[in-house]
Amino acid sequence: MNLKVLDKRAIAPLVEALMDDYRVVGPQAKGSKFTFEAVTDPANLRFDYDTTILPPKKVLLPPQERLATFTLQEDLQVKTVLETEPTVLLGVHTCDLKAIQLLDEVFSKDFPDAQYLAQREQTILISLECLSPCDEHSFCKDMGTLTASEGSDIHLTEIDSAYIVDATTEAGEELLARYATVRDATEADMQKLNKELGAKWPKFNYQLDFETAKLPSMLEAAFEHPLWNDLGDRCLACGSCTNVCPTCYCFNVYDEVDMLLTKGTRSRNWDSCQLDEFARVAGGENFREARAARQRHRLMRKGKYIYEKFDELGCVGCGRCIRTCTAKISIVESFNTIHNGKK
Amino acid sequence: MTTNNKVKVAFFDFASCEGCQLTIVDALQTHLDLLDMVEIVQFREAMTEKGEDYVIAFVEGSCTRKCDEERLFKIREQAALVVALGACAHTGGVNALKNVQPSLQDVREYVYGDKADWYETYPTRPISAVIDVDAFIPGCPIDRGEFVKVVKNVLLGKTPGIPDYPICVECKLKENVCLLLEGQPCLGPVTRAGCGAICPTYGEGCEGCRGLIPHPNENAMKDVLDEAGLKLEEIMSRFTMYNAYQKEQIETVEERI
Repeated sequence: MNLKVLDKRAIAPLVEALMDDYRVVGPQAKGSKFTFEAVTDPANLRFDYDTTILPPKKVLLPPQERLATFTLQEDLQVKTVLETEPTVLLGVHTCDLKAIQLLDEVFSKDFPDAQYLAQREQTILISLECLSPCDEHSFCKDMGTLTASEGSDIHLTEIDSAYIVDATTEAGEELLARYATVRDATEADMQKLNKELGAKWPKFNYQLDFETAKLPSMLEAAFEHPLWNDLGDRCLACGSCTNVCPTCYCFNVYDEVDMLLTKGTRSRNWDSCQLDEFARVAGGENFREARAARQRHRLMRKGKYIYEKFDELGCVGCGRCIRTCTAKISIVESFNTIHNGKK
Repeated sequence: MTTNNKVKVAFFDFASCEGCQLTIVDALQTHLDLLDMVEIVQFREAMTEKGEDYVIAFVEGSCTRKCDEERLFKIREQAALVVALGACAHTGGVNALKNVQPSLQDVREYVYGDKADWYETYPTRPISAVIDVDAFIPGCPIDRGEFVKVVKNVLLGKTPGIPDYPICVECKLKENVCLLLEGQPCLGPVTRAGCGAICPTYGEGCEGCRGLIPHPNENAMKDVLDEAGLKLEEIMSRFTMYNAYQKEQIETVEERI
């Protein structure tokens, strides 16, 4: 491992240089919150952000995306649309990084997804180590996403007025060599790094009352748990919990035609299993009508179904679904309720 | 008058401010190609001619008088498709506020003073309570983009394509800072999307002009508004601003698993 040091003052020139060749997306302030946005001025980048409203998955799986265009003339012509661009995704926390690794699996297995994979191929990920918890809602320590040893091209850890830079892929090394002004890490830098990494651990709390390895079997036994009806009573079915989730990937596909009905576009947008119409099928039948059943489905996905398909839990502990819920439904409380056998 | 293949459409108004029809006049300026597909044969707000051979009727406004019914029956008899245009036609809109007042006579006197008896009135209803309606375009006023979309879908023989999900979806995807979480009242979680969450985007809580979503969790919404610091009276007035009629109709049967 050949660690480098990037002075904080060298960030802005680095981002400026990157902006000539890439769309650079990074955390920026929006009101009292933060969002990942394309950078127009490096001074707006906020590496001290706690969390973002939507996760960085929106760069790889845009909320709305064109998939194909077609003509409605006699000779039906369909053209795949790939609206991807070379992108540097900057300042990704390790929970979101883990989620991107899961999405990579989802969109390459069984039915490779042309749009996602094309954008992913052109995206360089620069991740950022969290040295303190974003707030009381994150439970990354439980979910094992408190740090990351892989998944990004470059990983940054703050030490005083600089960042320790770990280029873990060839693309990351090339980017550093071409755009960044860095120096080799010294023994003193390494000591600072180890001190920071050692100091961060106790700052994060475990929130779950059990080992996450138990989640799939625990949920298996909880299909008829009274908790679901309780959640159904409180849930507004607004879909915010899944829209802010870094691992949720369900989408809806729809067609739009031009005014003269001669040609059209096929697009997709994010969908949510929490919405009333999600499981409604032709004929009007809705096979997951009760809000309680929809909430159960969400937590089953996070703790059981995804695990059964991909060998990874479908939750990375970012806490966004808890933060966003106006009805104060908490996945941590729900899992603990099931584990502790109480209502 | 013409021998083209365009679909003949007409616009009608009942109790309303006619702002939705104004939005259509506006939409015709930005979507001129709409007129490649349809021929307008009657549109009181925009033209003099009054053709009666329409196939699609767009109806703005709610039914608030006995004599409105006769007109609506006539429109229904002629039109193959009836589209409720805007909140008043779709949900009764603000006109239905009078339904929740203690006395209709008081309302009449408040509005018309000593001439109250000159004006006929009865409780407000959306037009779907009087005649069968094939499609609706929600909002106060309607969204012009949505109007164009519905016209296209209807001409294609598709369902209108009005979302059944709440405003929160559009608001979240815009990454607006949540007003409810900031302690401001907002009906986004129970109100039908399609407006692009325009009010919350500009910092104003949703007032529910597009009507409630199917199966809204009203009790949970009340709890959340209570949490946002609203008094019961304020919660009820926010709920009834646009949805007084719909509110009376909501079944409170809860599904269980």
